[in-house]
Amino acid sequence: MKLATVILSSARSIIAAALGLGACVLAPVPARAALSRGFEQLLDSVVRIDVREVSFEDGSRRFNASIGSGVILSEDGLVLTNAHVAGPRAVEITITLASLEQVGAKLVGWDHWTDLALLRINRDEVKRRGLKFRHAEFGDSDRLYVGQPVYAVGTPYGLARTVTRGIISNNNRYFEDASGVDGYETGAFNTWLQTDAAINPGNSGGPLVTEDSKVVGITSRAYLGANNLGFAIPSSTARRIVAGLVRDGSITRSYIGIVPRALQNLESFYDLALNTGVLIDSVESGSPAARAGLRAGDILLSIDGRKLDGRFPEQLPPIQGLIAGQPVGSALVLRYKRGARDASVTVVTERLESRIGEEWVFDAWGLAVRKVSRTFARLNQLPDDAGVLVIGVQPGYPADLAGLSRGDVITKIDRRPVTSLEAAKAMYAAYAAKPAPVLFEAERDRLVDLFIIKP
Amino acid sequence: MKRILLFAATLSALGAGLRAADIPALWAERVKCAVAVEYVTESELERHTTIAYGTVVDGNGTIILPSAAIDLRVPSNRLKDFKVYCPDDLDGAPAEYLGRDALTGWHFLRASASIRSRLVPVTAFVGAGPAREPALAEDVWGVALRNKDEDFTPYLMRSHVALIEALPQRTAIAQQEVAGPGLPVFDGEGRFLGIGASSFGQTFLQFSNMDRGGMPVMLVNVEESSAFLVAAEVIPNLGRIPHNVSGRPLAWLGAYGLQPMDRDVAVFLKLASQSGAVVSEVLDGSPGEKAGLKAQDIILAIDGQALPHFKPERVVVDYIDRVIAAHAPGDSLTLSVLRGTTRIEVKAVLGDEPKLAREAARKYFEKLGFTAREFVYGDAVARHASTVALAGFIVPFVKPNSPADIAGLKPDDWVKEIDGAEAKTFGAAVETLSAVESDFLRSEMVLLVSRGSDTAVLRVKLR
Repeated sequence: MKLATVILSSARSIIAAALGLGACVLAPVPARAALSRGFEQLLDSVVRIDVREVSFEDGSRRFNASIGSGVILSEDGLVLTNAHVAGPRAVEITITLASLEQVGAKLVGWDHWTDLALLRINRDEVKRRGLKFRHAEFGDSDRLYVGQPVYAVGTPYGLARTVTRGIISNNNRYFEDASGVDGYETGAFNTWLQTDAAINPGNSGGPLVTEDSKVVGITSRAYLGANNLGFAIPSSTARRIVAGLVRDGSITRSYIGIVPRALQNLESFYDLALNTGVLIDSVESGSPAARAGLRAGDILLSIDGRKLDGRFPEQLPPIQGLIAGQPVGSALVLRYKRGARDASVTVVTERLESRIGEEWVFDAWGLAVRKVSRTFARLNQLPDDAGVLVIGVQPGYPADLAGLSRGDVITKIDRRPVTSLEAAKAMYAAYAAKPAPVLFEAERDRLVDLFIIKP
Repeated sequence: MKRILLFAATLSALGAGLRAADIPALWAERVKCAVAVEYVTESELERHTTIAYGTVVDGNGTIILPSAAIDLRVPSNRLKDFKVYCPDDLDGAPAEYLGRDALTGWHFLRASASIRSRLVPVTAFVGAGPAREPALAEDVWGVALRNKDEDFTPYLMRSHVALIEALPQRTAIAQQEVAGPGLPVFDGEGRFLGIGASSFGQTFLQFSNMDRGGMPVMLVNVEESSAFLVAAEVIPNLGRIPHNVSGRPLAWLGAYGLQPMDRDVAVFLKLASQSGAVVSEVLDGSPGEKAGLKAQDIILAIDGQALPHFKPERVVVDYIDRVIAAHAPGDSLTLSVLRGTTRIEVKAVLGDEPKLAREAARKYFEKLGFTAREFVYGDAVARHASTVALAGFIVPFVKPNSPADIAGLKPDDWVKEIDGAEAKTFGAAVETLSAVESDFLRSEMVLLVSRGSDTAVLRVKLR
């Protein structure tokens, strides 16, 4: 802690020197002291997070440990971190406070789309042991300017309370990844802050702060092997997500099934005025937009009368956000242009789902499965979202011996359709109570196969 | 007396064996049944030559090549410059490609008259009566040919039969390689015993400094084979010369993705004495669909004949395919299927298989940098699309670094629209693309492309 303060103080004096001597002459000591106090409070709110999480990939329950960072946001111990640090697979979360005391925490909720997760420190334990911590304040990320100095605080490679310094390299970076958060989709609904403050593995979930110790971002990812290309989720996004997670434990979004693309110089081809509309690059088959008759190549002009401007990639997340922010089941009037003519359709939104469904393992079968989600079914052209996807089989266990393998979609067990994960669990429970051979029906690449799982 | 009889039996057994002294005389005549075939496969950018081996089957210069000798996906009008070489031949003679027979899988060729006098059909070495099946442990010998740079010099291979198995055709497996694939095998008296099949892979352990544990690798000898199709599977089918290059008519049921029923499943379903195959899908508008066949039905018998057991189980799928191929469109087939727990009879009238990709029209647009191919039934099936409205075209080839390639067009893409207008028929699409290609003032073309579950817009910059 002392070391960190020293680094910061010396950093400040260099900046002060560059700004001119006058400021230093007027009130050098109190300013520095106030800043140090502010920064100290911030440092006291940054925690190390140790997560033990379960993985089902090999057809059995395996536990992995990982380390990340987080920042305490409230007196009652809400901790904000990344979704890829702590998610629903976490079975044990331990927070190391600035005082080096360790305390347990629980997941309040997560949102992989923005790579954010909210934890709550075990309040009883805090009270019983008389633990003390401080909390940080959000700053306004919308007011950041490119070139503004920022600091990243976190636990890179387990080195607790490491502060690195840099500037805002870009305050509106578009970065979408279909499997960026432990295989889950991310980045469609927010842009990112880019910084050259050094961000290393373990920094994830730690705050990106301005000189006045306000949290303007949650550091999340960096290009490994590149020089200081780090990314953080802006506080404007984080603030909204935190409120939603506190309220509901999850973030609900609307979905219509279009993939937008920036027009970038295509305006002349589509005979459009500049800054008008957004190109529909693809429409997911079976989605509300597809059912309403929208097609790839259409230009989406407005949503419920709100004109769209999707000329550049970083303008796409707000457009996606506009759709996502509507209540599920809303009827949206989409005005679009196809060829020379304009038309309108009404699309009723569905609840946005991840491609990745809930996972489970059936230990006695040596079989790990993931519920087929609507999105997965559409991407893989399955007739519907019935069935569970095999994500792992344990060698030598009944599922493996029967011939099931990763990638099979189990559609029926004992001749009954597997409509939900709960249905599969019930069938497993019946087997566990009275083991006897069971007939499985599974599909892979449209081939139907039968398997017998034997005790 | 008993002792003398026994002695005689021993003698005759020796007689059936292979005496090295007999072979050169037998060899000189029989090697004339073997030919090497060279042909060229033409694609948009290149031509490549393939060498295969075949057997002469009649006095008209008809030659059969094994199925694997020619890639089935290649359209027949891209197969060019067929040439037949006798063993030890330097020049060869032209030949005509007659097509592939669906039942046997053989490709038929006809050598030009100039070379026919040097060919001897393998039927010259078939005795009267039913074809002889080789016996276990019997000595057998066959022909193999060296490569072109060695003038296709013939050489003798010899082994003995280790196993005879139905795969589903009866196939003898010798202890070592016994003939080139597609070349004949004979017994000790020079009688025709069969034709070399595609080789089986053999697993070897590969040791290296990096991996001392030994990594299993499977190797396939493509020049020689230890397996041969027995004569009884060959001789009755020698007359199946295709009527046309496409091998039509092709009998079609439309049961897609047959999967063998494994033994555990059969036992569970109380069908332990049965073999079977699960139907994955029944194709739209197919004879199977019209007959009421359903996905997940388990086929157990055809025309009252229970499906035989095979080792391995997956051979049953080839068996069913062959039963269908042996019929003609218009023939009826009665399938006994298990649906859920009830056994049902399904009577189907076979149809003619819809146009295949290799038969589809195609056109290469060199300046745009891709080939357009007519969208056919099979494309619709593969893409879960309507099999009724076959619109748009498939892109089987994209030229590297061409405008289409730079725009992100990929082989196997399905183009549905050109410049915002639907490509309703292949002819219309070709017309539009030709117009685009010859328009030197044009700066771009926009394609609506379907790939997997996505449909995307691609801009092809032309200038």
